[in-house]
Amino acid sequence: MKRKRRTTILVKGNEQTAKLLADEIINKYPVTTIQKPDNGLIMLKMRESSQKKLFYLGEVLVTECKVQVAGVLGVGIVQDDKPEMAYHLAVIDAAYNAGLAETEKWERILVEEEKRILDREANERVSLLKTRVNFETMDAQGSVNDEI
Amino acid sequence: MGYVAVKGGTAAIEESIKRLRYERLKDEKVIEVETIKSCMRGLIDQIMSEGSLYSRDLAALAIKQAEGNPEEATFLIRAYRSTLPRKHYSRTIDPEDMRVERRISAAFKDIPGGQILGADYDYTHRLLDFDLYNENLADIREWINKYTGTPAVDCRQSSGKLPKVIDLLRTEGLIAQAANDDTEPQDVTRESIRFPTTRSQRLQILTRGETGAVTALGYAAIRGYGILHPTVGELRVGYLPVYIDYPIANSNTDEDAVYIGEIQVTEVESLIPEVKEKKMGRKEIEFCIGYGICYGQNETKAIAMSVLDNCLEKSHINSPVHNEEFVLMHIDCVEATGFISHLKLPHYVTFQSKLDSVRKTKRWEEEE
Repeated sequence: MKRKRRTTILVKGNEQTAKLLADEIINKYPVTTIQKPDNGLIMLKMRESSQKKLFYLGEVLVTECKVQVAGVLGVGIVQDDKPEMAYHLAVIDAAYNAGLAETEKWERILVEEEKRILDREANERVSLLKTRVNFETMDAQGSVNDEI
Repeated sequence: MGYVAVKGGTAAIEESIKRLRYERLKDEKVIEVETIKSCMRGLIDQIMSEGSLYSRDLAALAIKQAEGNPEEATFLIRAYRSTLPRKHYSRTIDPEDMRVERRISAAFKDIPGGQILGADYDYTHRLLDFDLYNENLADIREWINKYTGTPAVDCRQSSGKLPKVIDLLRTEGLIAQAANDDTEPQDVTRESIRFPTTRSQRLQILTRGETGAVTALGYAAIRGYGILHPTVGELRVGYLPVYIDYPIANSNTDEDAVYIGEIQVTEVESLIPEVKEKKMGRKEIEFCIGYGICYGQNETKAIAMSVLDNCLEKSHINSPVHNEEFVLMHIDCVEATGFISHLKLPHYVTFQSKLDSVRKTKRWEEEE
Protein backbone atom coordinates (compact mmCIF):
# COMPACT_ATOMS: atom_id res chain seq x y z
CA MET A 1 0.00 0.00 0.00
CA LYS A 2 1.38 3.38 -1.05
CA ARG A 3 2.29 5.95 1.56
CA LYS A 4 -0.46 8.44 0.66
CA ARG A 5 -3.26 5.94 1.11
CA ARG A 6 -1.67 4.36 4.17
CA THR A 7 -1.11 7.64 6.05
CA THR A 8 -4.61 8.82 5.15
CA ILE A 9 -6.11 5.69 6.69
CA LEU A 10 -3.93 5.84 9.80
CA VAL A 11 -4.53 9.55 10.48
CA LYS A 12 -8.25 9.56 9.67
CA GLY A 13 -8.89 6.25 11.36
CA ASN A 14 -9.04 5.19 14.97
CA GLU A 15 -5.77 6.06 16.74
CA GLN A 16 -5.83 2.57 18.31
CA THR A 17 -5.18 1.08 14.87
CA ALA A 18 -1.88 2.98 14.55
CA LYS A 19 -1.00 1.95 18.13
CA LEU A 20 -1.79 -1.69 17.40
CA LEU A 21 0.49 -1.80 14.36
CA ALA A 22 3.31 0.18 15.99
CA ASP A 23 3.23 -1.94 19.16
CA GLU A 24 3.75 -5.06 17.07
CA ILE A 25 7.05 -3.61 15.83
CA ILE A 26 8.08 -2.08 19.16
CA ASN A 27 7.66 -5.49 20.86
CA LYS A 28 9.82 -7.31 18.30
CA TYR A 29 12.53 -4.92 17.12
CA PRO A 30 14.80 -2.33 18.72
CA VAL A 31 13.42 1.12 17.98
CA THR A 32 15.78 4.09 18.19
CA THR A 33 14.26 7.53 18.52
CA ILE A 34 16.16 9.91 16.22
CA GLN A 35 13.91 12.91 16.84
CA LYS A 36 11.52 12.97 19.77
CA PRO A 37 7.99 14.10 18.89
CA ASP A 38 8.03 17.88 18.76
CA ASN A 39 5.73 20.61 17.55
CA GLY A 40 6.24 22.64 14.43
CA LEU A 41 4.39 24.25 11.58
CA ILE A 42 3.46 23.41 8.04
CA MET A 43 2.82 26.35 5.71
CA LEU A 44 -0.17 25.68 3.49
CA LYS A 45 0.28 26.39 -0.19
CA MET A 46 -3.04 26.94 -1.90
CA ARG A 47 -4.25 27.44 -5.45
CA GLU A 48 -6.96 30.07 -5.74
CA SER A 49 -9.69 29.39 -8.26
CA SER A 50 -9.94 32.87 -9.80
CA GLN A 51 -6.62 33.26 -11.62
CA LYS A 52 -5.31 29.80 -10.62
CA LYS A 53 -2.28 31.30 -8.88
CA LEU A 54 -0.58 30.05 -5.72
CA PHE A 55 -0.56 31.77 -2.33
CA TYR A 56 0.04 30.89 1.31
CA LEU A 57 -3.16 30.36 3.28
CA GLY A 58 -1.50 30.14 6.71
CA GLU A 59 0.12 27.56 8.91
CA VAL A 60 -1.07 24.45 10.68
CA LEU A 61 0.28 22.98 13.93
CA VAL A 62 1.85 19.54 13.57
CA THR A 63 3.81 17.02 15.62
CA GLU A 64 6.77 15.30 13.96
CA CYS A 65 8.85 12.34 15.08
CA LYS A 66 11.67 10.31 13.52
CA VAL A 67 12.72 6.79 14.51
CA GLN A 68 14.93 3.98 13.24
CA VAL A 69 13.69 0.39 13.09
CA ALA A 70 16.21 -2.27 12.06
CA GLY A 71 18.52 0.61 11.12
CA VAL A 72 16.01 2.13 8.72
CA LEU A 73 14.57 5.62 9.17
CA GLY A 74 10.87 6.42 9.40
CA VAL A 75 8.97 9.64 9.95
CA GLY A 76 5.60 10.36 11.52
CA ILE A 77 3.86 13.71 11.03
CA VAL A 78 0.35 14.50 12.18
CA GLN A 79 -1.81 17.57 12.65
CA ASP A 80 -2.10 19.07 16.18
CA ASP A 81 -0.17 18.19 19.32
CA LYS A 82 -0.21 14.38 19.20
CA PRO A 83 3.19 13.07 20.33
CA GLU A 84 2.10 9.45 20.79
CA MET A 85 0.41 9.30 17.40
CA ALA A 86 3.45 10.87 15.67
CA TYR A 87 5.68 8.24 17.29
CA HIS A 88 3.44 5.38 16.20
CA LEU A 89 3.28 6.74 12.64
CA ALA A 90 7.07 7.00 12.56
CA VAL A 91 7.46 3.38 13.70
CA ILE A 92 4.99 2.17 11.06
CA ASP A 93 6.72 4.23 8.37
CA ALA A 94 10.12 2.81 9.31
CA ALA A 95 8.69 -0.74 9.27
CA TYR A 96 7.44 -0.20 5.71
CA ASN A 97 10.75 1.39 4.66
CA ALA A 98 12.60 -1.62 6.10
CA GLY A 99 10.26 -4.00 4.27
CA LEU A 100 9.50 -5.94 7.46
CA ALA A 101 7.35 -9.06 7.04
CA GLU A 102 4.77 -7.74 9.53
CA THR A 103 3.74 -5.01 7.09
CA GLU A 104 2.36 -7.55 4.61
CA LYS A 105 -0.45 -8.66 6.89
CA TRP A 106 -1.25 -5.04 7.82
CA GLU A 107 -2.84 -4.58 4.40
CA ARG A 108 -6.04 -6.31 5.54
CA ILE A 109 -6.25 -4.28 8.77
CA LEU A 110 -5.75 -1.03 6.87
CA VAL A 111 -8.33 -1.87 4.22
CA GLU A 112 -10.87 -2.66 6.96
CA GLU A 113 -10.09 0.65 8.67
CA GLU A 114 -10.48 2.43 5.34
CA LYS A 115 -13.95 0.90 4.94
CA ARG A 116 -14.95 2.23 8.37
CA ILE A 117 -13.68 5.70 7.43
CA LEU A 118 -15.56 5.67 4.12
CA ASP A 119 -18.73 4.49 5.88
CA ARG A 120 -18.42 7.23 8.48
CA GLU A 121 -17.88 9.91 5.83
CA ALA A 122 -20.76 8.55 3.76
CA ASN A 123 -23.03 8.72 6.80
CA GLU A 124 -21.99 12.32 7.40
CA ARG A 125 -22.72 13.17 3.76
CA VAL A 126 -26.10 11.48 3.92
CA SER A 127 -26.94 13.46 7.03
CA LEU A 128 -25.80 16.72 5.40
CA LEU A 129 -27.84 16.05 2.30
CA LYS A 130 -30.95 16.42 4.42
CA THR A 131 -30.17 20.15 4.18
CA ARG A 132 -30.16 20.11 0.37
CA VAL A 133 -32.80 22.45 -1.02
CA ASN A 134 -35.56 21.07 -3.19
CA PHE A 135 -36.87 24.09 -5.04
CA GLU A 136 -40.40 24.06 -6.28
CA THR A 137 -39.74 25.37 -9.76
CA MET A 138 -42.18 28.06 -10.87
CA ASP A 139 -40.35 28.93 -14.11
CA ALA A 140 -37.21 27.95 -15.98
CA GLN A 141 -35.20 31.05 -14.97
CA GLY A 142 -32.12 30.87 -12.82
CA SER A 143 -30.97 27.36 -13.60
CA VAL A 144 -27.30 26.93 -14.31
CA ASN A 145 -28.22 23.86 -16.34
CA ASP A 146 -30.73 25.79 -18.41
CA GLU A 147 -28.55 28.81 -18.97
CA ILE A 148 -25.21 27.17 -19.54
CA MET B 1 12.84 71.99 31.26
CA GLY B 2 15.34 69.11 31.20
CA TYR B 3 14.59 65.43 30.62
CA VAL B 4 14.68 63.14 33.64
CA ALA B 5 15.03 59.39 33.22
CA VAL B 6 12.75 57.53 35.61
CA LYS B 7 12.08 53.95 36.53
CA GLY B 8 9.59 52.28 38.78
CA GLY B 9 6.26 50.60 38.77
CA THR B 10 7.61 47.02 39.01
CA ALA B 11 5.64 46.25 42.17
CA ALA B 12 2.52 47.89 40.74
CA ILE B 13 2.84 45.85 37.52
CA GLU B 14 3.18 42.61 39.48
CA GLU B 15 0.06 43.49 41.46
CA SER B 16 -1.76 44.42 38.23
CA ILE B 17 -1.00 40.98 36.79
CA LYS B 18 -2.36 39.37 39.97
CA ARG B 19 -5.44 41.58 39.65
CA LEU B 20 -5.94 40.38 36.07
CA ARG B 21 -5.79 36.77 37.26
CA TYR B 22 -8.22 37.60 40.05
CA GLU B 23 -10.70 39.08 37.55
CA ARG B 24 -10.60 35.80 35.59
CA LEU B 25 -11.01 33.59 38.66
CA LYS B 26 -12.99 35.64 41.19
CA ASP B 27 -16.32 33.90 40.50
CA GLU B 28 -14.62 30.55 41.20
CA LYS B 29 -15.74 29.11 37.89
CA VAL B 30 -13.46 27.13 35.62
CA ILE B 31 -14.16 26.74 31.93
CA GLU B 32 -12.38 23.74 30.41
CA VAL B 33 -10.41 24.22 27.19
CA GLU B 34 -12.32 21.25 25.80
CA THR B 35 -15.60 23.04 26.59
CA ILE B 36 -14.43 26.14 24.71
CA LYS B 37 -13.36 23.92 21.81
CA SER B 38 -16.78 22.29 21.67
CA CYS B 39 -18.99 25.30 22.35
CA MET B 40 -17.27 28.35 20.82
CA ARG B 41 -16.85 27.28 17.22
CA GLY B 42 -17.31 30.78 15.76
CA LEU B 43 -14.75 32.44 18.01
CA ILE B 44 -12.23 29.63 17.51
CA ASP B 45 -12.56 29.95 13.73
CA GLN B 46 -12.00 33.69 13.96
CA ILE B 47 -8.91 33.35 16.16
CA MET B 48 -7.37 30.64 13.95
CA SER B 49 -7.96 32.78 10.88
CA GLU B 50 -6.60 36.03 12.33
CA GLY B 51 -3.81 34.21 14.13
CA SER B 52 -2.94 32.51 10.83
CA LEU B 53 -2.45 29.22 12.66
CA TYR B 54 -4.82 26.28 12.28
CA SER B 55 -5.14 24.60 15.66
CA ARG B 56 -8.47 24.38 17.46
CA ASP B 57 -6.70 23.34 20.68
CA LEU B 58 -4.38 26.35 20.75
CA ALA B 59 -7.17 28.74 19.76
CA ALA B 60 -9.34 27.42 22.61
CA LEU B 61 -6.47 27.81 25.08
CA ALA B 62 -5.82 31.36 23.88
CA ILE B 63 -9.51 32.21 24.26
CA LYS B 64 -9.47 30.92 27.84
CA GLN B 65 -6.33 32.87 28.71
CA ALA B 66 -7.65 36.02 27.04
CA GLU B 67 -11.06 35.68 28.73
CA GLY B 68 -12.73 35.68 25.32
CA ASN B 69 -11.03 38.84 24.10
CA PRO B 70 -10.40 38.16 20.37
CA GLU B 71 -7.55 40.65 19.86
CA GLU B 72 -5.67 39.31 22.89
CA ALA B 73 -6.25 35.69 21.84
CA THR B 74 -5.01 36.43 18.31
CA PHE B 75 -1.92 38.13 19.74
CA LEU B 76 -1.20 35.05 21.90
CA ILE B 77 -1.53 32.74 18.89
CA ARG B 78 0.72 34.88 16.70
CA ALA B 79 3.30 35.12 19.49
CA TYR B 80 3.31 31.35 20.04
CA ARG B 81 3.47 30.69 16.31
CA SER B 82 6.64 32.76 16.12
CA THR B 83 8.38 30.35 18.54
CA LEU B 84 7.73 27.25 16.44
CA PRO B 85 9.93 26.04 13.59
CA ARG B 86 8.38 25.80 10.15
CA LYS B 87 9.10 22.20 9.31
CA HIS B 88 7.53 21.80 5.88
CA TYR B 89 5.44 23.32 3.14
CA SER B 90 2.30 21.51 2.04
CA ARG B 91 1.77 20.17 -1.43
CA THR B 92 -0.48 22.52 -3.37
CA ILE B 93 -4.00 22.37 -1.95
CA ASP B 94 -6.67 22.48 -4.62
CA PRO B 95 -10.04 23.82 -3.43
CA GLU B 96 -11.77 21.39 -5.81
CA ASP B 97 -10.75 18.60 -3.41
CA MET B 98 -13.00 20.03 -0.70
CA ARG B 99 -15.24 17.65 1.23
CA VAL B 100 -18.21 20.00 1.16
CA GLU B 101 -20.42 20.55 4.23
CA ARG B 102 -22.26 23.62 3.00
CA ARG B 103 -22.57 25.06 -0.46
CA ILE B 104 -24.84 27.78 -1.76
CA SER B 105 -25.04 30.02 -4.80
CA ALA B 106 -26.75 33.40 -4.95
CA ALA B 107 -26.36 33.42 -8.73
CA PHE B 108 -28.18 30.23 -9.72
CA LYS B 109 -31.05 28.39 -8.14
CA ASP B 110 -30.22 24.99 -9.61
CA ILE B 111 -26.57 24.04 -9.52
CA PRO B 112 -25.09 20.59 -10.14
CA GLY B 113 -25.06 18.84 -6.77
CA GLY B 114 -27.67 21.23 -5.40
CA GLN B 115 -27.67 23.93 -2.78
CA ILE B 116 -26.64 22.38 0.52
CA LEU B 117 -27.45 24.61 3.45
CA GLY B 118 -25.39 22.71 6.02
CA ALA B 119 -25.20 24.50 9.37
CA ASP B 120 -25.66 28.26 9.42
CA TYR B 121 -27.41 31.00 11.41
CA ASP B 122 -28.89 32.52 8.23
CA TYR B 123 -32.08 30.49 8.54
CA THR B 124 -32.75 31.11 12.22
CA HIS B 125 -34.75 33.80 13.94
CA ARG B 126 -32.35 36.11 15.71
CA LEU B 127 -34.27 35.83 18.98
CA LEU B 128 -32.56 35.14 22.28
CA ASP B 129 -33.26 31.57 23.36
CA PHE B 130 -33.86 31.78 27.10
CA ASP B 131 -34.14 27.98 27.30
CA LEU B 132 -30.35 27.85 26.99
CA TYR B 133 -30.13 29.11 30.58
CA ASN B 134 -31.34 25.67 31.65
CA GLU B 135 -29.73 23.41 29.06
CA ASN B 136 -28.64 20.10 30.53
CA LEU B 137 -26.63 17.13 29.33
CA ALA B 138 -29.48 14.61 29.45
CA ASP B 139 -31.64 16.75 27.16
CA ILE B 140 -28.71 17.32 24.82
CA ARG B 141 -28.03 13.56 24.54
CA GLU B 142 -31.67 12.83 23.89
CA TRP B 143 -31.78 15.46 21.13
CA ILE B 144 -28.56 14.19 19.51
CA ASN B 145 -29.81 10.59 19.52
CA LYS B 146 -33.05 11.68 17.93
CA TYR B 147 -31.29 13.81 15.31
CA THR B 148 -28.63 11.31 14.34
CA GLY B 149 -31.16 8.49 14.36
CA THR B 150 -33.44 10.16 11.82
CA PRO B 151 -33.66 8.20 8.53
CA ALA B 152 -31.53 10.09 6.04
CA VAL B 153 -31.68 10.80 2.33
CA ASP B 154 -30.17 7.86 0.49
CA CYS B 155 -27.25 9.35 -1.40
CA ARG B 156 -24.23 7.25 -0.46
CA GLN B 157 -22.82 7.24 -3.96
CA SER B 158 -21.83 10.92 -3.64
CA SER B 159 -18.11 11.53 -2.94
CA GLY B 160 -18.66 14.87 -1.23
CA LYS B 161 -16.82 16.69 -4.01
CA LEU B 162 -18.93 19.00 -6.15
CA PRO B 163 -18.32 20.76 -9.47
CA LYS B 164 -17.66 24.49 -9.27
CA VAL B 165 -20.19 26.97 -10.57
CA ILE B 166 -17.46 29.19 -12.05
CA ASP B 167 -16.08 26.28 -14.06
CA LEU B 168 -19.46 25.94 -15.74
CA LEU B 169 -19.40 29.65 -16.56
CA ARG B 170 -15.85 29.27 -17.86
CA THR B 171 -16.98 26.51 -20.19
CA GLU B 172 -19.58 28.89 -21.60
CA GLY B 173 -16.93 31.61 -22.12
CA LEU B 174 -18.63 33.99 -19.69
CA ILE B 175 -15.51 34.01 -17.51
CA ALA B 176 -11.99 34.18 -18.94
CA GLN B 177 -10.15 30.86 -18.95
CA ALA B 178 -7.18 30.63 -16.59
CA ALA B 179 -4.33 28.13 -16.75
CA ASN B 180 -2.52 26.98 -13.60
CA ASP B 181 0.24 29.43 -12.70
CA ASP B 182 2.86 27.64 -10.60
CA THR B 183 4.93 30.71 -9.76
CA GLU B 184 6.13 30.25 -6.16
CA PRO B 185 4.12 32.51 -3.85
CA GLN B 186 5.75 35.16 -1.69
CA ASP B 187 5.37 34.90 2.06
CA VAL B 188 4.50 38.08 3.95
CA THR B 189 5.60 36.48 7.23
CA ARG B 190 9.13 36.11 5.90
CA GLU B 191 9.55 39.16 3.71
CA SER B 192 8.18 42.69 4.19
CA ILE B 193 5.84 43.78 1.45
CA ARG B 194 6.65 46.50 -1.05
CA PHE B 195 4.12 48.25 -3.23
CA PRO B 196 2.83 47.30 -5.69
CA THR B 197 2.26 43.90 -4.10
CA THR B 198 1.87 40.54 -5.81
CA ARG B 199 -1.40 38.64 -5.84
CA SER B 200 -0.01 36.01 -3.46
CA GLN B 201 0.91 38.69 -0.92
CA ARG B 202 -2.51 40.34 -1.16
CA LEU B 203 -4.40 37.09 -0.65
CA GLN B 204 -2.23 36.08 2.31
CA ILE B 205 -2.75 39.44 4.04
CA LEU B 206 -6.49 39.44 3.33
CA THR B 207 -7.05 35.90 4.64
CA ARG B 208 -5.30 36.68 7.95
CA GLY B 209 -6.97 40.08 8.24
CA GLU B 210 -9.10 41.07 11.21
CA THR B 211 -12.69 39.97 10.56
CA GLY B 212 -14.23 43.32 11.45
CA ALA B 213 -11.73 45.33 9.42
CA VAL B 214 -12.07 43.13 6.32
CA THR B 215 -15.86 43.26 6.63
CA ALA B 216 -15.92 47.06 7.11
CA LEU B 217 -13.76 47.72 4.06
CA GLY B 218 -15.67 45.16 1.98
CA TYR B 219 -18.88 46.91 2.99
CA ALA B 220 -17.40 50.31 2.07
CA ALA B 221 -16.51 48.92 -1.36
CA ILE B 222 -20.10 47.85 -1.99
CA ARG B 223 -21.72 50.91 -0.41
CA GLY B 224 -20.03 53.46 -2.59
CA TYR B 225 -16.23 53.28 -2.72
CA GLY B 226 -15.77 50.39 -5.10
CA ILE B 227 -17.60 47.79 -7.17
CA LEU B 228 -21.34 48.15 -7.40
CA HIS B 229 -22.81 44.83 -6.29
CA PRO B 230 -21.06 41.50 -6.52
CA THR B 231 -23.05 38.28 -6.74
CA VAL B 232 -21.90 35.30 -4.71
CA GLY B 233 -21.38 32.73 -7.46
CA GLU B 234 -20.59 30.08 -4.90
CA LEU B 235 -19.93 29.89 -1.17
CA ARG B 236 -18.56 26.69 0.27
CA VAL B 237 -17.68 25.49 3.73
CA GLY B 238 -15.86 22.22 4.00
CA TYR B 239 -12.67 20.30 4.65
CA LEU B 240 -9.50 20.27 2.56
CA PRO B 241 -6.94 17.47 2.91
CA VAL B 242 -3.34 18.48 3.63
CA TYR B 243 -0.42 16.49 2.24
CA ILE B 244 3.32 17.08 2.28
CA ASP B 245 6.06 15.54 0.17
CA TYR B 246 7.75 12.65 1.96
CA PRO B 247 10.55 14.49 3.77
CA ILE B 248 13.26 11.86 4.18
CA ALA B 249 13.59 10.69 0.60
CA ASN B 250 13.19 13.96 -1.35
CA SER B 251 10.22 12.34 -2.98
CA ASN B 252 7.61 14.48 -4.68
CA THR B 253 5.33 11.91 -6.29
CA ASP B 254 1.64 12.09 -5.48
CA GLU B 255 1.38 8.49 -4.24
CA ASP B 256 4.33 8.95 -1.90
CA ALA B 257 2.83 12.01 -0.22
CA VAL B 258 2.15 12.05 3.52
CA TYR B 259 -1.35 12.88 4.75
CA ILE B 260 -1.19 14.98 7.91
CA GLY B 261 -4.84 15.96 8.43
CA GLU B 262 -7.52 18.31 7.15
CA ILE B 263 -8.52 21.92 7.59
CA GLN B 264 -11.96 23.49 7.52
CA VAL B 265 -12.27 26.59 5.35
CA THR B 266 -14.88 28.94 3.94
CA GLU B 267 -14.36 29.73 0.26
CA VAL B 268 -16.18 32.32 -1.82
CA GLU B 269 -16.15 33.17 -5.50
CA SER B 270 -17.97 36.44 -6.20
CA LEU B 271 -18.98 37.38 -9.71
CA ILE B 272 -18.47 40.97 -10.77
CA PRO B 273 -19.50 42.13 -14.27
CA GLU B 274 -16.87 44.18 -16.09
CA VAL B 275 -16.88 45.87 -19.48
CA LYS B 276 -13.98 44.69 -21.66
CA GLU B 277 -12.75 46.59 -24.72
CA LYS B 278 -12.57 44.33 -27.77
CA LYS B 279 -11.42 44.88 -31.35
CA MET B 280 -12.83 47.81 -33.35
CA GLY B 281 -13.96 49.55 -30.17
CA ARG B 282 -16.51 46.84 -29.50
CA LYS B 283 -17.37 46.38 -25.86
CA GLU B 284 -18.23 43.12 -24.16
CA ILE B 285 -19.35 42.36 -20.63
CA GLU B 286 -17.44 39.60 -18.88
CA PHE B 287 -17.57 38.36 -15.33
CA CYS B 288 -14.51 38.77 -13.09
CA ILE B 289 -14.06 36.62 -10.02
CA GLY B 290 -13.33 38.00 -6.58
CA TYR B 291 -11.76 35.30 -4.42
CA GLY B 292 -12.13 34.91 -0.66
CA ILE B 293 -11.06 32.14 1.69
CA CYS B 294 -10.38 31.82 5.39
CA TYR B 295 -9.94 29.20 8.10
CA GLY B 296 -13.09 27.79 9.66
CA GLN B 297 -16.62 28.93 8.98
CA ASN B 298 -16.50 32.71 8.68
CA GLU B 299 -18.72 33.55 5.72
CA THR B 300 -18.93 37.31 6.14
CA LYS B 301 -15.15 37.60 6.15
CA ALA B 302 -14.71 35.35 3.11
CA ILE B 303 -17.32 37.31 1.12
CA ALA B 304 -15.78 40.65 2.13
CA MET B 305 -12.35 39.30 1.17
CA SER B 306 -13.65 38.37 -2.27
CA VAL B 307 -14.90 41.93 -2.72
CA LEU B 308 -11.58 43.44 -1.63
CA ASP B 309 -9.63 40.99 -3.79
CA ASN B 310 -11.45 42.28 -6.84
CA CYS B 311 -11.01 45.91 -5.76
CA LEU B 312 -7.25 45.47 -5.32
CA GLU B 313 -6.96 43.94 -8.78
CA LYS B 314 -8.11 47.35 -10.06
CA SER B 315 -5.61 49.58 -8.31
CA HIS B 316 -5.89 52.26 -11.03
CA ILE B 317 -9.26 53.34 -9.62
CA ASN B 318 -8.90 56.31 -7.29
CA SER B 319 -10.72 55.13 -4.17
CA PRO B 320 -9.54 54.00 -0.71
CA VAL B 321 -10.69 50.40 -1.18
CA HIS B 322 -8.76 50.16 -4.46
CA ASN B 323 -5.62 51.49 -2.74
CA GLU B 324 -3.61 48.46 -1.65
CA GLU B 325 -1.54 50.42 0.85
CA PHE B 326 -4.73 51.67 2.52
CA VAL B 327 -6.36 48.23 2.65
CA LEU B 328 -3.43 45.90 3.30
CA MET B 329 -1.65 48.00 5.92
CA HIS B 330 -4.72 48.49 8.09
CA ILE B 331 -6.52 45.15 8.31
CA ASP B 332 -4.03 43.13 10.35
CA CYS B 333 -5.35 42.58 13.87
CA VAL B 334 -2.01 42.50 15.67
CA GLU B 335 -0.56 45.48 13.82
CA ALA B 336 -3.67 47.63 14.20
CA THR B 337 -4.43 46.81 17.84
CA GLY B 338 -0.73 46.94 18.69
CA PHE B 339 -0.33 50.43 17.33
CA ILE B 340 -3.51 51.71 18.92
CA SER B 341 -2.56 50.07 22.24
CA HIS B 342 0.87 51.66 22.24
CA LEU B 343 -0.91 54.96 22.89
CA LYS B 344 -1.43 53.68 26.46
CA LEU B 345 2.31 53.45 27.04
CA PRO B 346 4.11 56.32 28.79
CA HIS B 347 4.67 59.24 26.43
CA TYR B 348 5.89 61.48 29.25
CA VAL B 349 8.85 62.95 27.38
CA THR B 350 7.13 63.55 24.04
CA PHE B 351 4.05 64.93 25.77
CA GLN B 352 6.17 67.26 27.94
CA SER B 353 7.75 68.56 24.75
CA LYS B 354 4.28 69.23 23.28
CA LEU B 355 3.22 70.84 26.56
CA ASP B 356 6.24 73.15 26.48
CA SER B 357 5.33 74.21 22.96
CA VAL B 358 1.73 74.93 23.99
CA ARG B 359 2.90 76.94 27.03
CA LYS B 360 5.32 78.96 24.92
CA THR B 361 2.57 79.73 22.40
CA LYS B 362 0.26 80.83 25.21
CA ARG B 363 3.03 83.04 26.71
CA TRP B 364 3.69 84.71 23.35
CA GLU B 365 -0.03 85.39 22.95
CA GLU B 366 -0.15 87.00 26.41
CA GLU B 367 2.95 89.09 25.74
CA GLU B 368 1.52 90.34 22.45
